[in-house]
Amino acid sequence: MKHWIGICVLILTILAISFVVAANINVLLPSTNVRTLAEIYLKYTYYPWDKYFTAMSPEACTSIVWDFRGLDTVFETMVFYLAIIGAIALARGVPLKPPKEIKGEPGLSLIVKTVTKIAPVLIIAVAGSIALHGHLTPGGGFQGGATAAVAPVLILVVFSQFYLLKRGVNKNSMLLLRSIGLTGIGITAFAAVLIGLATGHYAFVLQNQPKPLAPNISLPAFVGGQLISGSLWFFNFFEFLAVAAGFTIVFLLITLPEKLAETKEEKRAAEGGEK
Amino acid sequence: MITLSEYFMTILITCMIVNLGLALYGVFFKPNLIKKIIALTILGDTANTFALIIGYRMWVAGVPSRPPVFTEWRSNNPLLLLVFTKTAVDPLPQALVLTAIVIGLAVILFLVFLTLQAWKIYRSVDMRDIRKLKG
Repeated sequence: MKHWIGICVLILTILAISFVVAANINVLLPSTNVRTLAEIYLKYTYYPWDKYFTAMSPEACTSIVWDFRGLDTVFETMVFYLAIIGAIALARGVPLKPPKEIKGEPGLSLIVKTVTKIAPVLIIAVAGSIALHGHLTPGGGFQGGATAAVAPVLILVVFSQFYLLKRGVNKNSMLLLRSIGLTGIGITAFAAVLIGLATGHYAFVLQNQPKPLAPNISLPAFVGGQLISGSLWFFNFFEFLAVAAGFTIVFLLITLPEKLAETKEEKRAAEGGEK
Repeated sequence: MITLSEYFMTILITCMIVNLGLALYGVFFKPNLIKKIIALTILGDTANTFALIIGYRMWVAGVPSRPPVFTEWRSNNPLLLLVFTKTAVDPLPQALVLTAIVIGLAVILFLVFLTLQAWKIYRSVDMRDIRKLKG
């Protein structure tokens, strides 16, 4: 009961303070205009009349993430992977293997399992759609990858981890998928330079559309009439693979049963302590 | 004169400031490591919401501001692009928040791993217990 009184008082205080503030000063509110930088980004996100400045993607966020500030995002991917690698390093020596015999039927009830057999397919389909349409609609590689990583979590909770491990979703296969994703990001970043080397023209790293100093080299904005926005589609796709695989590894490691999670040294230490 | 949209926006900002205080309280004064991590996620989400509010564009004459997606790109019409530039919200904070969320998730997972390690070694995630231990 006391909790409710406190919460009500808090809400009323917030409403009253907001009323007083809103009636007197307007400094807290966003203005009706955005900054000049934002207007430039909005104008040049899809601007086919001047190819030197545009990213040829109708989605301004994706063009900022992978074109206008592309180098930032490469470093952000690096930070992301440092955290993932840190987590994997803390769990080193943990054997990710299913035990030979499992007592009883692990997991939740039959109804939940039946629903979960359908749901991950839908989740991965939606995640792929988010990632591959990232240059047209809100979304992109990061969001698609984080969404796709929900599917293994669902299977982990409902079916137990051994179900996933027996079907090949283990640490090594996910590390392989992650490596494919990161290599793809690297190749896409250097694609323009490689084309430039092959054809003998100047080109930049992380180049998408032609630039004033490299007017001859560009990645195609349209393929077969479909807008793919040059390098953005590839970046989104490979980032999708990398993020989904990275999160899956960490979720696999974090949900390991504690008895199995002990490394050999810890087991030895525990046995030695008991003796 | 105070309009309803201004009032709602001010309520949102005030709530975010209160949220910030609650999250900082949780990070500093909760002894349980898991609760500290939960408070840290609230802190991160509050900071992200602040970033989004900075890039928001208030409605002009009751017309909602648009998301930064130029949906009429097939028309190849510069006038529509001009209207889009004058009505869309700032995409830069959204792009920064997008990566901040994913990196935040990875860092939170790392912290959870550290907590798991602390539990494996000390058999406790309570700071008061861990502080008493020696050696």
